[in-house]
Amino acid sequence: MMKSIVITTTINKRKHELEVHPNTTLLDLLRDELGLTGTKRGCEAGECGACTILMNGQAVNSCLVLAPQIDGQEILTIEGLADGDKLHPLQESFLDHDAVHCGFCTPGMLMSAKSLLDRNASPTELEVRTAISGNLCRCTGYQQIVDAVLETEPVKRET
Amino acid sequence: MRPFEYYSPRTLSEACNLLAEGEPDSKILAGGTDVLVEMRKSSAWSSKAIVDITRIPSLRGIGESGDWIIIKPLTTHTEVLHSDLVRTHAPLLQTAVSTIGSPQIRNRGTVGGNIMNAAACADTVPPLIALDAEIMLKSTSGERVIALSEFFVKPYVTVARRDEILVEVRFPKLPANARSSFVKLGRRNALSIARLSVAAVVCKDEAGVVTDARIVPGAAFPRWQRVPEAEKLLIGQKPSKELLVEGGKKVSEVMISFTGRRWSTEYKEPVIAVLVRRALEACE
Repeated sequence: MMKSIVITTTINKRKHELEVHPNTTLLDLLRDELGLTGTKRGCEAGECGACTILMNGQAVNSCLVLAPQIDGQEILTIEGLADGDKLHPLQESFLDHDAVHCGFCTPGMLMSAKSLLDRNASPTELEVRTAISGNLCRCTGYQQIVDAVLETEPVKRET
Repeated sequence: MRPFEYYSPRTLSEACNLLAEGEPDSKILAGGTDVLVEMRKSSAWSSKAIVDITRIPSLRGIGESGDWIIIKPLTTHTEVLHSDLVRTHAPLLQTAVSTIGSPQIRNRGTVGGNIMNAAACADTVPPLIALDAEIMLKSTSGERVIALSEFFVKPYVTVARRDEILVEVRFPKLPANARSSFVKLGRRNALSIARLSVAAVVCKDEAGVVTDARIVPGAAFPRWQRVPEAEKLLIGQKPSKELLVEGGKKVSEVMISFTGRRWSTEYKEPVIAVLVRRALEACE
C-alpha cells in the first residue's frame, strides 16, 4: 500500500539513485540498506548523537531525518571521513590522545568535530565542548576527546 | 515505524490543498526533531499521512519590514542563533535558542515547529510572547493573524485547525532603550528540557525609571502568558534589589493562583521567584 520513492543523493561523494520507503529514517537507510554501519544506532530520539552525520556540511542526527528527505542533499558519514587509506587528521588525533575507549560514540563525535573544524579551524575549548554537546560518551569523561579536537593538525578544508 | 503516505509539496498552495483535500489525518513535518520521536512511539502515533513542508523555499528565512522582524517558520534554531537581525532587535530570543537541544537538534529544529508542537517547555515561546509576537496561519480558506499569547490552549493544544499552516512569525523590534533576558532551569546543560524558564523585557527612561516591563514564565502556567500583576510593580519605579525580589514573589503568587498547590509547588514556588529576579537583574 505504501509507495516507495526514488531519490537521488550524494553519500560520501558518490551519487546514488535509491528507492526508499517513507517510513524509514536516514539511519535505517545507511545501516540496513547501504551497509554503512559506522553510523551507530543509539537512543533513536536525538539525544545521544551516536548517529550523527553531516547533511550539507551540518551535523544532524540521522535518526531524525526521513529517508526521502535526503533527496538532492549531500551526506557525509564516518566512512567518508578518511581519504582512502589516509586517515583524516581528526582520526589521527583521536588515536594519539586515546580518545576512543569502547568506540560507540566515536563516529558521531568525529562528525560533530568535523562540522566544527570546517567552520572554525582553531576553536576554543568552549567551542569544542559546545560542538560535541549533543554527543554522549560514557567512557572517556570527554577530556581526551576535547584535547584531540583542540590539537588536530590544521588541514586544508575540503568542501 | 508504521507506514504512512508521504507528500513533499514544493509550493505553499500545493501544501494547503493537500491539507484541505487530502488524507484528513495528516501531520505536518518540519524539522522532525519532535515528530520523528513521536512517530516511533507507535502507540501514540495515528497519522496516516505526512506532509513534509521542508521543500517550500518561501517558508525559510529571517527578514525585516519597517519596525518589524519577520521569521519564517522553517528557519532553524541555528539560523536564529547566527542572525544579526535577531541579535540586534531581539537578543533574548537568541539566548533562548542557544539553550535548545544540541547543535544537531538546532540544525534541524525550526521556530515554526517549536511553536506548533506547543510543548510546555518550548523555549522560543516565552521570548516571542515577551516580544508581542503574532503569527500568520494559512489554509485554502485564507489567512489569519493571531497574537501568539492567544494561540495556545494548553500544552500540545493550539487554536490552529488541522488544515492550517504556520507561514510567518513576526514581532516589533525592541526599542533602543530595552534590555531583555532569558533564563532557563534544566537538569543538565546540553539537551536540557526547560523545567522552568523566564523571558523578560525592561525599558527605562533616561532617569532610570521603568517605562515598560514584560515578564513571561515558561513551563510554569497552564498556558503561556505575561504576568501584568508583577509587571505593574516595576513600571514607574527605579528598580532596587528589593523590588526585583518582590517582582519574583509576585509571579510565584500568580502562578499558584492558576495552578493551585500540587506536588511540585513546594519546589516551583521559590524557584520561579528566583528565576524572575535573575531575569530582571539581567535586564539592569
